[in-house]
Amino acid sequence: MFSISTEAKVGLFVLVALIILGYMSFRVGESGFGVKKGYQVNVVFDNAAGLERDASVQIAGVEVGRVEGISLKDGQALVTLRVLPSVRLEKDVEAKIKSYGILGDKYVDIVPGTEGEAYIVAGGDITRTERQADIDKLLSKLGYIAADVLEVTASLKKVVGSVEGEANLKAIIENTRSITENLDRIVTQNDEKLNLMIANLGEASTEMRKAFAALNSVVRKIDSGEGTIGQLVENKDAFDNLNQTLASLRDITDKINEGKGTIGKLINDEETVDNLNEGLKSIDKSMEGIEQYISKAEQFKTFLSYRGEYLFDSSEGKGYFDLTIRPNEDKFYLLGVVADPRGRRTVTDTTVGGTTTRTEKRERDELLFTAQIGKRFKDIALRGGIFESTGGVGIDYFAFDDSLQLTFEAFDFNSDKNAHLKAYAEYRFLKHIYLSAGWDDFISNEGRESPFVGFSIKFEDEDLKYLLGSVPIPN
Amino acid sequence: MFLTRNTQPVTRKYMIKLVDIHKSFGQQKVLDGLNLDIEDGKTTVIIGGSGGGKSVLLKHIIGLLKPDSGQVFVDDIDIASLNDKGLNEVRKKFGMLFQEAALFDSMNVMGNVAFPLREHTRKKEKEIREIVRERLKAVGLLGVENKMPSELSGGMRKRVGLARAIAMHPQIVLFDEPTTGLDPVMTEAINELIVETQKNFDLTCVVISHDVQSIFTVGHKIAMLYKGRIIEYGTPEKIKMSSNPVLRQFLSGSLEGPISVI
Amino acid sequence: MNKIAATVDNFGRAILENIEEMGRILILFLSVLAWMARPPLKLRLIFKQMEFVGVKSIFVVVLTGTFTGMVMALQGYYGFRMFNAESLVGSTVALGMTRELGPVLTALMVTARAGSAMAAELGTMRVTEQIDALYVMAANPVKHLIVPRVIAGVIMLPALTIVSDFMGILGGYFVGVPVLGINSGAFINNINKLVDLGDIYNGLIKAAFFGLILSVVGCYKGFNTTGGAEGVGKATTEAVVLAAISILISDYFLTAIMF
Ligand SMILES: Nc1ncnc2c1ncn2[C@@H]1O[C@H](COP(=O)(O)OP(=O)(O)OP(=O)(O)O)[C@@H](O)[C@H]1O
Ligand SMILES: [Mg+2]
Repeated sequence: MFSISTEAKVGLFVLVALIILGYMSFRVGESGFGVKKGYQVNVVFDNAAGLERDASVQIAGVEVGRVEGISLKDGQALVTLRVLPSVRLEKDVEAKIKSYGILGDKYVDIVPGTEGEAYIVAGGDITRTERQADIDKLLSKLGYIAADVLEVTASLKKVVGSVEGEANLKAIIENTRSITENLDRIVTQNDEKLNLMIANLGEASTEMRKAFAALNSVVRKIDSGEGTIGQLVENKDAFDNLNQTLASLRDITDKINEGKGTIGKLINDEETVDNLNEGLKSIDKSMEGIEQYISKAEQFKTFLSYRGEYLFDSSEGKGYFDLTIRPNEDKFYLLGVVADPRGRRTVTDTTVGGTTTRTEKRERDELLFTAQIGKRFKDIALRGGIFESTGGVGIDYFAFDDSLQLTFEAFDFNSDKNAHLKAYAEYRFLKHIYLSAGWDDFISNEGRESPFVGFSIKFEDEDLKYLLGSVPIPN
Repeated sequence: MFLTRNTQPVTRKYMIKLVDIHKSFGQQKVLDGLNLDIEDGKTTVIIGGSGGGKSVLLKHIIGLLKPDSGQVFVDDIDIASLNDKGLNEVRKKFGMLFQEAALFDSMNVMGNVAFPLREHTRKKEKEIREIVRERLKAVGLLGVENKMPSELSGGMRKRVGLARAIAMHPQIVLFDEPTTGLDPVMTEAINELIVETQKNFDLTCVVISHDVQSIFTVGHKIAMLYKGRIIEYGTPEKIKMSSNPVLRQFLSGSLEGPISVI
Repeated sequence: MNKIAATVDNFGRAILENIEEMGRILILFLSVLAWMARPPLKLRLIFKQMEFVGVKSIFVVVLTGTFTGMVMALQGYYGFRMFNAESLVGSTVALGMTRELGPVLTALMVTARAGSAMAAELGTMRVTEQIDALYVMAANPVKHLIVPRVIAGVIMLPALTIVSDFMGILGGYFVGVPVLGINSGAFINNINKLVDLGDIYNGLIKAAFFGLILSVVGCYKGFNTTGGAEGVGKATTEAVVLAAISILISDYFLTAIMF
C-alpha cells in the first residue's frame, strides 16, 4: 500500500501554509503598490485629525502615493507624503484632506497645479493647502447659516411685505436708474482722459522691463556663485541670510510668475520673457543644490546598540556594544566592543625532547573589539573586518521592513581549530527592542558550540546625525 | 573474555548498600529502618508479602524514589546526594524490569528493546537490530519485533521488558517479579536465562519473586522483607533451615502464622 | 466564625497552590528550553508530533475558520448596511480573522484535540511507569517526551493559523459576494487597503505563543499525573481548562502589547 511518510506530510503542510502566507502578504503588503521608490513631499495642515499613516494620496481619485508620517511642527500637522516617481507635482498644487463618504477614512487629495509650472523636487513642500470642513463644524455652521437665512427672510418679508416697504423699494429702483444714467454721461464726457491713463500704463510697463533686466543679472551672479554656497552654509548666519534672500527671491519670482498672464501680454516682448525664464531656472538650480545637501544629512545615520546574549551550554552571557555609522543607504561602518566571559584562547605548543605539550591559556573577562565595514545591496548586507578581535566576514539578510534580520558570521580562522561560525536571527519586537536566537560557534571542535538567545536595544542618534551631517562624505 | 571487570582485584564485596532506610507515603510507613547489602557479582532475591514494599525498595536502589532518611550506596556513591547528571551516570550501570513491564506504548517491540542501545551507544542500526533479535531469542520471542506492546499478552510483555533490561548487558540488573504470570516451562526458561546471563557477564542481580521454586534456583542470597525491615538474610540453605516463623509461613504458604492476610 | 476562617484559609491555600503551579509550569518551560538547546534533537519524534498537532488538525481548523469567517460576514453585513458601508465587511472579516479569531480559535481547537491528548498520553505513561522506565534508562523524559511536543506546538500553530485566516477570509468572501451581493472589487480592495502585513504577522506570533502554552500546559498536567486511570482523566480535563484560560488571558496581554 502506498503511504506518505510523516515527514512528507508535515513538510507538505508547512509548505502549503507558507505559500498561503506569501500570497496573503503579497496581497496586503505595500509591495504591490511600489511607492517605496517614490519621493517625499511635505505638507503642513492646520489640522490632520483622522488622517493616518499609510493613508492614500490621490489625484483625481487615482492613488499616487501614501502618507508616510505625521508629526507636529509649530502647532501644526506636518504630513510627509511619498509620491510615485512617475507623478510630478507642480509647485502650485493644492493639498486637501478629504474623506471617503461621511464616516470613511481620510485621504489626501491633490489638486493639480498650473501646467508649465516648475515641479516640486524630492523633499520639497506643497504650500497650498485646504482643509475640508469637519463634519461637526460643517453641521454647526449649517445651523448658523440656517438661522441667519431665517432672520434675513423675516426682515425682508417685513420690508417688502408692508405698503411702506413697497414704496421704499420703488424709490430704490428709481435711484439706481438715475445713477446709471449719470455714469453713462460721465464716461462719454471724459473719453480723452481715460485714453491718457492707458498710455501711462504702457509707460510703466517699459520701466518694469528695465527692472527685470537688472534682476536677471543679479540672479546670474548667484548662479555663478553656486559652488560657494556650500561654504556659505557652514556659517550659520550666512546660511540664514541666504535662506531669507532665496525665500524673498522666490517670493518675487513667484509673484511675477503668477502675473505672467497679464504682464506678459502687456509687455509683449519675447526677449524679456526668455530672460525671466532663464532667471527662474537658475534659481531652481540653486535650490536643488541646497535640497541635495539637506537630503545628504537626512541619509546620514548613526545607531547605538547593545546586545546581550545568553549561551545555554555554558550558562554565560555575552555582551555587544556597537556604534554603526551609515553615511548613506548602502554603506556602513561598525565599531564596537564585546564582553565575552569565555575570553580569548591562545594555544602554544612547546616541544621538549620529542614530546609536545600544548598549553592553553584563556584570557578571561577581556574586552574584544569589533571594527567592520559593510555594504548593503537591497536586502543583503556584506560585512568584513574585525570580529571579536579576529578577522572575519559576515552576511546579513533583512526582511519585513528590516524588522527581521538573519545573520551569518565566520571569523577566528585558525589552523589548529575550526573557525568560529555563528548564525542567528534577530526580530524587532518593539520599537527599539529586538529579540534574537541562534547558534554560536557551531562547528567548534572544542565543545564551545552553544545555542543562545539574546535581546538588544538599538537607538538612532538624532543629535549626532546633524552634527556629523556637515562633515564631507567620501563617495 | 568478557570478564574484564573481574581482572581488577575486588576490593569490596558489596555493590549496593542500603543503610537505615525510612520511607512513608503519607501516614503509611513502608520501609522502616531497612538495612541490606547486595553482593557484587551475585544474585540476591528479595521475598516478602504483597504490598510489603519490595517494589518501593527496588525503586530506592535506582534512585526513582528518595528515602525520607537513610542512605543508598551504589558502587560506594551515595546516590541521594547526586544531581540529575550524576544520577544518570549511575543509572547507566543499571537495567531494570518493572513489575508491569512498563513498555513504551508508542514503540513496537523492536523500538522498546533497542531503546537503550540507540540512546547510549553509537552502534549501527544493523548491529542494533541484530542484538535485539538475539535478546528476543533468549526470552523466546523471536518474530514479534514489529508488534506493538498492546498486541502482546502480559507474559510476553514481561519478557520483552526483560529483553530490554538486559539489552545493554548492564552491570546491575533489577528484576521485579520476572516470572509472575508465566507458565511453568517458561518460568523455568526465564530462571535459566537469569542464571546464565548472571554467570556469563558476572552481573549483580536483584530479583523480587514470589515463586518459591524460582527463589532457590536463581538466588545466591535471599532476603526476607517484613514490616519494613529485612528479617532474614542468607544463602538458600540457611533460609531453608531457618526457624523464623514468618519465613516458615511464607515458604509453606500456610494461613496459620504471624502473617495475617485478612 | 470558624467557618469563615476556614473559607478564608481555603481560599488563600487555593491561590498559593495556583501560584505554585504557575511556578512549576514555568520551571518545566525553562527546562524544555534548556533541553531544546542541547542537541541532538529527536527529529523523528518532532515530526511525529508535528503530524499529530498540525497535519491532523487541518480539518477542524479549516472547518472552524471557514464558518467563523462566514458568520462574521453575515453579522458585519447587517451592521454595515445601516451606513451603506457593506464593502467594509471584507476588511472586518480579514482583520478579525488575522488578529484575533484565527489564532485564538485555532489554539482552542488544537488544545481540545492535541493538548488534551498530550496530557492523556503523558499521564498514561506516568501511571504505567513508562516515565520511570525512561529515567531508569538514563533518558530524560523532558527531552524525549516534552521537547518534541512543545516544538511541534510552536511551529504548527502559526501554520494552522495561516490556514484558518485564509479559510475565514474565503468563507467571508463566499457569504459576502455571491450570497449577500457585496461588490467583489470593493470587498477585496478594502482588505488590501485596511489589512497590514503587521496584522497577519502579529497574529502568527500570538499563535506561536498559544502553541507554546497549550503544549507546555498539556505536558505539565500529563507529566504530573497521579492516581491511575482516574488521574489521567482528571489531568486531561485540567489541561484543557487551564490551557484554554491561559490562552484567552495571554491573548489580552499580547494584543495590548502588539496592536
Ligand atoms: N507512589 C506511591 N504512593 C503512595 N503509596 C505507594 C506508592 N508506591 C507504593 N505505595 C505503597 O507502598 C506499599 C508497598 O508497595 P510495593 O509496590 O512496594 O509493594 P510490593 O511489595 O512490591 O507488592 P507486590 O508484591 O504486590 O508487588 C503499598 O502499600 C503501596 O500502597
Ligand atoms: Mg511490587
